[in-house]
Amino acid sequence: MDKRLTNRIAVSFLWFCAATTVAVLGAVILYVFVNGIGQLSPAFIFTKPHGVNFEGGIGPTIVSTLYVTALAMLIVTPIGVLAAVYLAEYAVQGRLVRIIRFAADSLASVPSIIMGLFGLALFVESMHIGFSMISAALALSFLMLPIVMRTTEEAIRAVPRYIRWGSYGLGASKWQTVSRVVLPAAMSRILTGLILASGRAVGETAVVIFTMGQAIHLPISPLESGRPMTVHLYMLAMEGINLPAAYGTALLLMIMILFFNLTARWLLRRNRRMQG
Amino acid sequence: MADQPITTGAPAEKKSTLKLMSKATYAKEAALRSVFLVCATVAVAGVALIFVFVGVRGWPIIQDPGLGAFLFGKVWSSSAGEFGILPLVTGTFAITIGSLVLGAPLAVGTAVFLSEIASPKVRSIVRPAVELLAGVPSVVYGFFGLIILRPIIADITGGLGFGPLTASIVLAVMIVPTIATLTEDALGSVVPGIREASYAMGATTWQTIHKVLLPAASVGIIDAVILGMGRAVGETMAVVMLAGNAPQFFKGPGEPISTLTSQIVIDMSYASGTHRTALFAMAVILFLISMGLVALVRLISSRKETR
Amino acid sequence: MAKHTCPRAGGSPLHTRPRAVVCAGLVCVLVGAMLSLVGCGENGSKADEVIVNGSTTILPIAEIAAEQYMEENPDISVLVSGVGSSAGIETVSKGSSDIGASSRDLKPEEAPLGLIDTPIAYDAIAVIVNPDNPVRELTTEQVRGIFSGRITNWNELGGPDLDIGLVNRDEASGTREAFKKIVMGDESFYIGAVILPGTGQVRAVVTDAPGAVGYISLGFVNDDIKAVTIDGIVPSEEAVVAGTYPISRILHCFTKGAPEGLIKDFLDYMLSPAVQDSIVRDAGFIPITAKEALGG
Repeated sequence: MDKRLTNRIAVSFLWFCAATTVAVLGAVILYVFVNGIGQLSPAFIFTKPHGVNFEGGIGPTIVSTLYVTALAMLIVTPIGVLAAVYLAEYAVQGRLVRIIRFAADSLASVPSIIMGLFGLALFVESMHIGFSMISAALALSFLMLPIVMRTTEEAIRAVPRYIRWGSYGLGASKWQTVSRVVLPAAMSRILTGLILASGRAVGETAVVIFTMGQAIHLPISPLESGRPMTVHLYMLAMEGINLPAAYGTALLLMIMILFFNLTARWLLRRNRRMQG
Repeated sequence: MADQPITTGAPAEKKSTLKLMSKATYAKEAALRSVFLVCATVAVAGVALIFVFVGVRGWPIIQDPGLGAFLFGKVWSSSAGEFGILPLVTGTFAITIGSLVLGAPLAVGTAVFLSEIASPKVRSIVRPAVELLAGVPSVVYGFFGLIILRPIIADITGGLGFGPLTASIVLAVMIVPTIATLTEDALGSVVPGIREASYAMGATTWQTIHKVLLPAASVGIIDAVILGMGRAVGETMAVVMLAGNAPQFFKGPGEPISTLTSQIVIDMSYASGTHRTALFAMAVILFLISMGLVALVRLISSRKETR
Repeated sequence: MAKHTCPRAGGSPLHTRPRAVVCAGLVCVLVGAMLSLVGCGENGSKADEVIVNGSTTILPIAEIAAEQYMEENPDISVLVSGVGSSAGIETVSKGSSDIGASSRDLKPEEAPLGLIDTPIAYDAIAVIVNPDNPVRELTTEQVRGIFSGRITNWNELGGPDLDIGLVNRDEASGTREAFKKIVMGDESFYIGAVILPGTGQVRAVVTDAPGAVGYISLGFVNDDIKAVTIDGIVPSEEAVVAGTYPISRILHCFTKGAPEGLIKDFLDYMLSPAVQDSIVRDAGFIPITAKEALGG
């Protein structure tokens, strides 16, 4: 067969693959947008649902989602960033580092449902915290930890070596170099990773469904339970009675995820421009 | 295990740095170092804790109904008190294989397109799209599949539209970002020069991709597909919404089926006793599968390094 | 720890950001912990409390009713939990709850416990098929045959040669529990049925699949689907209230002795139009007050 013809067929297949990927994303976004936009109103965002079929707004579920995401970030940020500092700056290649990396990779690939059952077993039941924001945030932070560790480590490694040499040359200690030179230089990429991890937390369902509870409730203290947007969407979709509210919830979720992703990209691009 | 490297690492550092810093600074540095080490071992502790706390709750399955009856039992029926997970395991694999068959070529194709064909402008549209696809919550995918895809599949198969086919199509889309990003990385790290050499010999784009680049990046691509498989095995919410959740053996692409993950979500709210134990034991099995896949990837990569 | 993170001052302020982030994190965690302690303190028990335990079928209406009741009476708290009918009856007879919600009648051995029944709603279940399906009449026996997997084609029931597509509910569902008890008896459900955790989805699937059959609460039946007659009785509110429609039951609230005071006040609220005509209907049940309205 003519190699040019084969080439043309193969290349058009590759175009087709890419086009399909983009088209699927477009279809999901468009579909959710078209069906959900009519639902969006201040009342939908700020009031609470009422009645058996959750008419009205979804305010408490938005608060629950943001609450648990913020709480999980507070827990995971110091641990994840410092762990990455250890791996990138302090660790000597060896058994321990290999074990840590394998553990982080495993944690990254743990199905989220297992994280949910784990949170249920450890935080909700064994530690008697009950269904609560803090139980959900702790379980989520285990899910986010490998993401934060990996992106932070990459960010730290991307900081040029000679900057460190300069710092050491001036007599700075290791921690002084890391805290005043390396981390500030890597900051915007670290932030990007943190934002992407929060996006993951916002969209997570299987973890929070078993750790936060499912009752609609406006959480004030971290020990209170609630129902996040994803669980609300799952229940509305499966119950199938109040579909308009499901579309509205799906659209708000997508907007939040898009916001997180675009912010992360913007930060990255700004950073690249500043360095380049 | 955690403090061993500190004690072995500290004296080494002492020798080289003692002259340069005061005792107080040295103590501070050492303390900080151990704080960081503790943070790094949180990941290890996390894996151990998951094993212990999920495992303890699943462990009694060994006695009742016994490991054999649990792993190879053909009937899952909580009302009859039978907890054999064989139908659920086959369901998980049916849906996983289906999603890989549909999703892996799509993902690898997209990655090859991004790395070899797309102009920078096209790439700046496709790559963010792939990344965003990873960010879409799985309930949204499930919802989309439930409302749009299910009726179409119902018309095609003549069934109700719930089953491995519907779930596999949606899962295929969900694993595209995982596989595509890793494949693109693998293609990007192909030794520079061989691409140019191939083109210089008069090879077409496809010949270069097919004969030179894909073989060169094959290990990375296999890793990517395995990790995509891990994602498909563990995916929960979209599967619950689309698989039909009937704990029976595979009967056809349009017949309902259940998986390890979906059965956990469906049953957890009311399960008690042996039933609950079985659900936790299923989580342990899932955990072992996903860790096994990660270990496999590491093994393949280290083989490549030694070669 | 604090000493280490706040070493000698100096260095340009630009470079103190990471430390500031860590410190801010610690402060937030501390504030969070304090907040949680405050939260604990607030959870003191209120004097005016009504505890409702029992059937998960009644849970949705009892929860919403309790919520609205508490909005009208802010100093009273009504605690609702779904523990199952039997546990509900047990706790109310032992005095650890005030109202036992039950979706079944008292068993003979429970009769001497001195419980007084306040019926609050009818729970009737319709067997639904696609509007294009010519099968319009089924017997209880046939329905049992369909859902146990013995009857697999509509032509066995006088319909076209079309495979039956079974739609079942999840085991946590009160509708499934009622259907199993009233229709299935000792037979078990066919394991190959699609399991859906929601009424609306059952309805949506039956709406567009010609061979599908499912069951939903009578209150959710609409024009997109067709509810078949059971043993010759058309599923209607009149038939349910008259007690002739076979797949129905009464939802009860049991109290130890005649309800008094707060408990009576809450039960009266449950029987008021605010609950009966909106919450009970929204949940797909038939109001207990429909009996008087229909002159039964």
